[in-house]
Amino acid sequence: MKTKSVLAGLLLTIFAATSLASSGLEGQQAPDFALKSATGENLRLSEYRGDVVMINFWATWCGPCRQEMPLLDELYNRYQRVGFNLLGVNIDDDSSRAMKMATELGVSFPVLFDSRKEVSKLYEVNAMPVTVLVDREGNVRHVHHGYKPGYEEKYLDEIRSLLRE
Amino acid sequence: MTKSLISIAACLLFATSAFAQEFNTEAVESREEFRSIDKDVQDLKKEVLDLNRDLFLLEEELLFPANSQVAFFISMDVGEYFELDSVNIKINGKEVANYLYTEREVDALLRGGVHRVHMANLKTGEHELVAVFTGRGPHTRDYRRGATLNFDKGIGAKYVELEITDRVRKQQPEFDIKEWE
Repeated sequence: MKTKSVLAGLLLTIFAATSLASSGLEGQQAPDFALKSATGENLRLSEYRGDVVMINFWATWCGPCRQEMPLLDELYNRYQRVGFNLLGVNIDDDSSRAMKMATELGVSFPVLFDSRKEVSKLYEVNAMPVTVLVDREGNVRHVHHGYKPGYEEKYLDEIRSLLRE
Repeated sequence: MTKSLISIAACLLFATSAFAQEFNTEAVESREEFRSIDKDVQDLKKEVLDLNRDLFLLEEELLFPANSQVAFFISMDVGEYFELDSVNIKINGKEVANYLYTEREVDALLRGGVHRVHMANLKTGEHELVAVFTGRGPHTRDYRRGATLNFDKGIGAKYVELEITDRVRKQQPEFDIKEWE
């Protein structure tokens, strides 16, 4: 009985781990969306076709997001002039809190508001943060769920290889 | 001795020229083969494009049969008194489209572009369309205006144009709804 439950637990863990590691979106065309940004402009993903785009879903209540965002901002500032763009999609209900946090952290990449959660549904956001990398052709190439110190190295490698394509 | 030397030299010359000739023929052949492969690839590409177009048309015909099809278009004329931000469309009280316009899209509309904002299947009979336009009006103030149209859907496709124009006399934008049969 005990062995059975241990086995079932193990299977569940493996299943959860694989479902987190691979996303159904990888290799697919990135779903298009338009959202209002902190500057009041409406930004549409398809208008960035030809550039490598990172979409970072974040929330004010998410601790790892707070850690990750300044590091993403560094990547954005370093690679922006060679065709890299970053869209920070905030999923809070109240956009004023998100604006406050973005200003506090001093991020320079565009911050968009998805208060209706339509875009996060499109991108199957089931963890926080979620980081999606879209290639120049508009295809989703990498999806990362959550953030742990050291992920930025992975992002760096992926961005560089996508920029080289 | 001299004779044998001459014969060796002649043999060598003959072999070299034969080799050169063979090499030339091979090069020509491979070039031709390459050209034909290139042509095949081009033909295949064209076929894929044609197939893609046919599939798209078929999908549209199946999803939106001509007799129940209704399409809504947004157009803009001048736009001096209105800077478009978004359009929200409700049919019979149900939201069917909420479209945010980027700067480039607004620019395209101002240059005469027409945007198909929504396509639907509707039964024949009376329907109500409510379109809400948001943006910046005169003196860059936030502006929100609605326009309603009760329309009759007959047999055959219907096209509805939502047009944003300027009313110069009142210095206000105007929102017109036109039906095209």
